[in-house]
Amino acid sequence: MSLGLRVRLRTKLAILSLLLLALPWVGYQYVKEMESFLLEGQREALVATARAVATALHDRPLLMRVRPRAGGTFFGPSGGLLPGEELLEPALPAPFQPRPDPLAVAEVEAILRGLERTTSRIWVVNRDLRVLAQAGDLQVGQAVESTGWTAFWRPWLSRMVTPPGGEEEIVETLDAVVTGREIVDALTMGAPGSRVRRIIDGQTVVVSAAHPIWSGDQVLGAVVVEESTQSILSLRNRALERLFLLTLAGFALAAVLVFGFAQRLSSRIRRLSSDAENAIDNRGRITPNLSGSEAGDEVGDLSRSFTRLLERLSRHQNYLESMASRLSHELRTPIAVVRSSLENLRSEPLPEGAQTYMQRADAGLSRLSRILSRMSEATRLEQALAATETERFDLRLVVAECVNGYRMAYPQQRIESSLPGYPVWVRGAPDLAAQMLDKLVENAADFAVADTPLEINLAFDGAGAKLSVTNRGPLLPPELEGQLFESMVSARKRDGGGEPHLGLGLFVARIIADFHDAKLAANNLPSGDGVCFSVAFRLA
Amino acid sequence: MARRIAIVEDEAAIRANYAEALARQGYDVAAYADRPEALAAFKSRLPDLAIIDIGLGDEPEGGFTLCSELRAMSMRLPIIFLTARDSDFDIVSGLRLGADDYLTKDVSLPHLLARVAALFRRVEALADSQPKEDRLERGPLTLDVMRLAAEWKGEPVALTLTEFWMVHTLARNAGHVKSRDQLMHDARLVDDGTITSHVKRIRRKFQVVDAGFDSIESVYGMGYRWKV
Repeated sequence: MSLGLRVRLRTKLAILSLLLLALPWVGYQYVKEMESFLLEGQREALVATARAVATALHDRPLLMRVRPRAGGTFFGPSGGLLPGEELLEPALPAPFQPRPDPLAVAEVEAILRGLERTTSRIWVVNRDLRVLAQAGDLQVGQAVESTGWTAFWRPWLSRMVTPPGGEEEIVETLDAVVTGREIVDALTMGAPGSRVRRIIDGQTVVVSAAHPIWSGDQVLGAVVVEESTQSILSLRNRALERLFLLTLAGFALAAVLVFGFAQRLSSRIRRLSSDAENAIDNRGRITPNLSGSEAGDEVGDLSRSFTRLLERLSRHQNYLESMASRLSHELRTPIAVVRSSLENLRSEPLPEGAQTYMQRADAGLSRLSRILSRMSEATRLEQALAATETERFDLRLVVAECVNGYRMAYPQQRIESSLPGYPVWVRGAPDLAAQMLDKLVENAADFAVADTPLEINLAFDGAGAKLSVTNRGPLLPPELEGQLFESMVSARKRDGGGEPHLGLGLFVARIIADFHDAKLAANNLPSGDGVCFSVAFRLA
Repeated sequence: MARRIAIVEDEAAIRANYAEALARQGYDVAAYADRPEALAAFKSRLPDLAIIDIGLGDEPEGGFTLCSELRAMSMRLPIIFLTARDSDFDIVSGLRLGADDYLTKDVSLPHLLARVAALFRRVEALADSQPKEDRLERGPLTLDVMRLAAEWKGEPVALTLTEFWMVHTLARNAGHVKSRDQLMHDARLVDDGTITSHVKRIRRKFQVVDAGFDSIESVYGMGYRWKV
């Protein structure tokens, strides 16, 4: 495991889910696309309107006649600018006052009224850019009423998204005279055109279209149709609003789902990992308490294979633990054959000198027997424990009697003991507790350096009692840490003399400690010259 | 006439060795390798004592079966289990089925012969209407060594052979601590692992007769003592 950056599964999924943020961007692009499409449609519609009006005015030069102005004309009605004509810079004339012919104007306006639409403004201009007639009004600036949260949201939205169009120039006021490119195009080149422009308030965008009015092959003037894009704008805003809301809702839903999924996944994995760790206790015993997940996904598979693995390991461990007793059981029969044969042999007349060999064979056999009975001791003890009832007994009394016994059993060994002044009541079996102390003392006596005392202490320790056996001698090998109390683990390096060492003594001690619900521990002395085995009992 | 001992044991070498050792003692020995063979022979003639292995050939519990079959034929026939098994569970099962003794296979031949002799002595003593005086009395305890029978306050206590010898050892030296090794030797047990459970069982048997029984004291780290 890398010790550097540790990114949890949940965090990773959260980062992945950020990809969802692409959704509103895509939506916004779509709305923009739709908006420009609508705008295009509006331009087409306006051009069509202008064409329709112009069609009504084609070939009616009288209508377009305007009294000549004092300042002359820009484009004379007869001096066509069409093919070959030089296009003059259409310098804007100083505020100019159209002086239309009242009769003609009245007729044009009559035509226009028929085409009047509430949202558009229609102009008819002649070649002098004089406005001959005008109908309708541009409806702009009517703010969409804002209620509730939209009051907060709309200004923010309008600041965030650019108004439609984009590249158009800003005309000072709404009523500024139309001298746009499309009009000039229509008047000078006879080509219909359209333009999008923004007026000074920055929010209102006006689409205008112009169509030339023909008389023969001469352009008499132009029809200009203007319309605000207010409807598109509000349509777009509504779309963006809905998009925003839907995205928000979708994002929240996805976030909750992803987070929940990540939470569940990571909790399952964490549970699996803690189960797997708990299955092996600190003494290395495997207790497969994994139930194996029922889930059909990979985590479930992992859990099941963990369970199988642990079960197999546990079976193997049980096999190893019962190995000793099985071995002893299997070996009993051949030993019985050897023993009974030797004993029968003894009653036969033997040659001189054979007695020595008989004795050696006997000695070897009895040692083998002792090994066998030790090997099965742990198993027999476990079986016996299952049938043993616990009782409340005074541990101090047991330890005191044991110490007296040890002074007789180990005459060459100095034994020091300290016991508390009060009885130590614990729950268990006194003779088993004595057997456990036997094992610990036996172990300590084996390792004790000559002429150093063996200390047996019993003391109250917090809410419990601590029984410890300390000897001076070699330290515990670090490689045996945690497995000292297992079956067949021995730290002994020297070749055993009479007594076989199978590393079963401490295993027996552990079984008894477990039976008493006590904790058995082995530690090197802080002074570094000895070892202390301690059993922490709970008071009863 | 020599006493007839039946040995039912599937291990040929052990069977032959035990048979020869017993024959050397003057017993008439019949050896069988499996249960059907032994049972057929028992039906025509009952032995005076049977030594039975628990695992017999293909039958892991064949000895137990044979024991109950034998017990059904004769209530008084002494039966000894001789087996490689040594768990408390097997010992208790064996004794419950009516066996008189239970020995593990690493028992030495002299011990086996002593146990056999003791059982025959008991049979003799039971048959004898006038028991010889070989009694040990310690307060309310009476041990009849010839009949291998124990009484507490006049009531019989049904001890097995092993238990009887343990009580005998303790009571004979009342007040002295007997170590596990001594008990093991005197009761002809092979290892000390079962001493604790034997003592426990002895106490329980006496407590059935007298709930206040507390004459066997544990001296932790040393052994047991008969309280004077």
